[in-house]
Amino acid sequence: MKRIEKYRRLFEIIPGFLTWTTLITLFVLAFIKPLWVAVFVIAFDLYWVVRISYLTLLLLFAYRRLEKEKSINWIERCVALAEMDGLSFKNIYHAVLFPVYKEGPEILTPSIEALEASNYLKDKFIVVISVEARALEEAWTNALKLKEKFKDRFFQFIVTRHPDNIPGEVKVKGANATWGAKVLKDFLDSKNIDYEHVIMSCFDADTCAEKEYFGCLAYHYITNPNRTHSSYQPIPVYNNNIWHARSIARILELGSSFMQMIETMRLEKFVTFSSHSMSFKTLVDAGYWPVDMISDDSAIYWKCFLYFDGDYSVIPMYVMVSMDVATEKGIIQTVIKQYKQKRRWAWGVENFPYVMLAFMNKDCRIPLAKKIRRAFHILESHYTWAVWAIIITFVAPLPLIFGGGLFRQTAIGYNLPSVAAALFRISLFTILVCVFISVRLLPPRPKDVKPQKSIIMVVQWLLSPLVAALLGSTPAIDAQTRLMLGKYMHFYVTEKFRKSSHPAE
Amino acid sequence: MKKSDKTKRMIAFYFSAGLYLILLPVLLSYSLGYKIDFKKIKVYKTGIIYISSNPAGAEIYINGKRYNDLTPAQIEEMKPGAYKIEVKREGFYSWEKDVVVRPNMVTRADRIILFPVIQQTKMLVKRDVSDFVVSDKRYVYYMTKTGLLKSNMDGTGLKRLSFYSNWPSGIIGKRFSRDAGKFLYFNEKTLWAVYLNLDKDITEGGESAQVEEIVTTDEPIVDVFWYSGASYIIVVTEKYINVVELKGGGKRNIASLYKFNARPKRLYYDSDNDSIYFTDIGRDADSMEGTYLYRLDLRQTFFDKFMKLLLKREAEAGNEKD
Repeated sequence: MKRIEKYRRLFEIIPGFLTWTTLITLFVLAFIKPLWVAVFVIAFDLYWVVRISYLTLLLLFAYRRLEKEKSINWIERCVALAEMDGLSFKNIYHAVLFPVYKEGPEILTPSIEALEASNYLKDKFIVVISVEARALEEAWTNALKLKEKFKDRFFQFIVTRHPDNIPGEVKVKGANATWGAKVLKDFLDSKNIDYEHVIMSCFDADTCAEKEYFGCLAYHYITNPNRTHSSYQPIPVYNNNIWHARSIARILELGSSFMQMIETMRLEKFVTFSSHSMSFKTLVDAGYWPVDMISDDSAIYWKCFLYFDGDYSVIPMYVMVSMDVATEKGIIQTVIKQYKQKRRWAWGVENFPYVMLAFMNKDCRIPLAKKIRRAFHILESHYTWAVWAIIITFVAPLPLIFGGGLFRQTAIGYNLPSVAAALFRISLFTILVCVFISVRLLPPRPKDVKPQKSIIMVVQWLLSPLVAALLGSTPAIDAQTRLMLGKYMHFYVTEKFRKSSHPAE
Repeated sequence: MKKSDKTKRMIAFYFSAGLYLILLPVLLSYSLGYKIDFKKIKVYKTGIIYISSNPAGAEIYINGKRYNDLTPAQIEEMKPGAYKIEVKREGFYSWEKDVVVRPNMVTRADRIILFPVIQQTKMLVKRDVSDFVVSDKRYVYYMTKTGLLKSNMDGTGLKRLSFYSNWPSGIIGKRFSRDAGKFLYFNEKTLWAVYLNLDKDITEGGESAQVEEIVTTDEPIVDVFWYSGASYIIVVTEKYINVVELKGGGKRNIASLYKFNARPKRLYYDSDNDSIYFTDIGRDADSMEGTYLYRLDLRQTFFDKFMKLLLKREAEAGNEKD
């Protein structure tokens, strides 16, 4: 094995090793040193309460920004802007790329209609649909039909087919997106359009951008002097089918939206997630999306970060893009679907060996302090994800179960349940904040949904401790264990279902 | 991110971090049973006393001094040492005990039951009762001068089962059969059986219970047991272990299974295995005389002996004919 491969394996092993070492150590210590575990549990529970209180505060800050910027007419702001570095809204193009596998017109049409409905010049849009060649012929036919329907409404509507089995590629979304971006490059070259004048938005097939999204994006792009060293991240919400989704799925997806809102307040850790935008020039310079990694959304950030020697950041935009809640008809199927989706997200841990190997490279000019900070952020976020719910739910009662009568007679053995319960009760106030914001973010209730469902939208949050115990950490442990054992994941496409095709609840 | 957001975030971060650093030692010391004296900047080891009583709401006195809370109460930050605890509630007998509080430990004085000073009693039935017996099915059977009565455990649902009133004096014991359909009672010499749940249409006098004398022995009865199936009774007298057939209908078969060397001091009947354990004087392998514990397994030996008895009787009857 080459030296670099040895290091790669080492960095692949580290996250899972840390997680399993922590959990096994706590389980073993609960038998032999229950007092130590009890002290740890109280310290961790307090840490968690303080942490989620802090994060809830950040969520409120972000929500306030979102509310404040909701009323802004961004195109007016763009019009009012003076030309900066030769850029104005008039000479900027929005390229919107949809890498597609099996998603049908019922999923893609609303996404394209959202582009059409946006408060921006339609003749500045280039829509690219890149269909996987390995998908059924129907997918390709559907894409052609969409082109036929929408081709006259935008500057250009490109439909392309990503061939299977290109050397060096694996079956991941990034490979399809890269293919689509290369086709777009050919088109831009043919039209002599400067790459810096093109903002690339890579959207999931179900992504419906808010009306002001492209105006907001153009404004931030033009006004940002470091525009090509930045990605532009909207707030992802899962409103497309939220009224028809299962409660358990709604809670998890809302939780993801809230985490993204919180991340907009922590720029030093902010990494692109799901649908987002960037300069096309940056994409070409950095060498497109990785074609062999599942977590293309975060991997492209790290690729750019490394390409620009650490001089790369994510600009938060307080506009929303709406996607589908991963839901199913039955509860069990929904849990499985959510589990697989969260495991795919947790597979973002693959960025750790990727980034670490790059940091070790002699040619890497990123300052050491920055390297340490960013590596720690990746490791800490994935490690915490994998252990928190297990510690709070399963490790906390272990000292009392295995500690024996003597431990229960100690002050800490006696106090542990009441202290943990008190901390849990304090943490419940964060749920109230979640309820408030989730209700405010909800789209209008569809006519086919009964009014009582509005009550469920509030009451559903009572399930959150159960959901956290069930799906809080397990997908992350699964992903890290696979990486640790070298059992690499393949891309799992979360199938999209809308009410028309798949009613739930 | 706006500058104001950044500032707010920084304030929130440092406030949270500071809060954690302050709360952690306080919470851990509380949980571990330490008390921090901020004035003297000193940490003491303390213990906890947990007191609960039934009924709750009783006053607590520690070394004669009234504690503010009522039971159940958790008295924290107690210096290690011995304390006299009293639990008092008006109308109840008070409870007191000397307890020792150990550092970082919990001393439990829970499950205290305070008994009322005036016990509340209730006359179950207004009848002159000679004796009574309670079945596992939670019924009370009254042996009265007007007959055998039955009621629920609280005295409700009283009804007469039989007019039988010839209850003996000096009843030593009573035993219900497993199905609670019969019970035995006995005095020093005689054993009776009471059959319950009878069909009134069939019995004489339309009674749902009947009393039958089973056996009168020459030696004082020590104890009786139901043999499995409740068709036979093990009658232990001072001299014998007898098995008595329950059903009469002519001569009642009785077999002596064991003869004691001395009156048994202790008896135990294992009804699950139909084995009787008893003490008797005997000799061990070294011919040392003493009182030993024996076990008579009726599952294996009973039928053999009974068959021998029947054969012997048949032989005797044959000889008489001859």
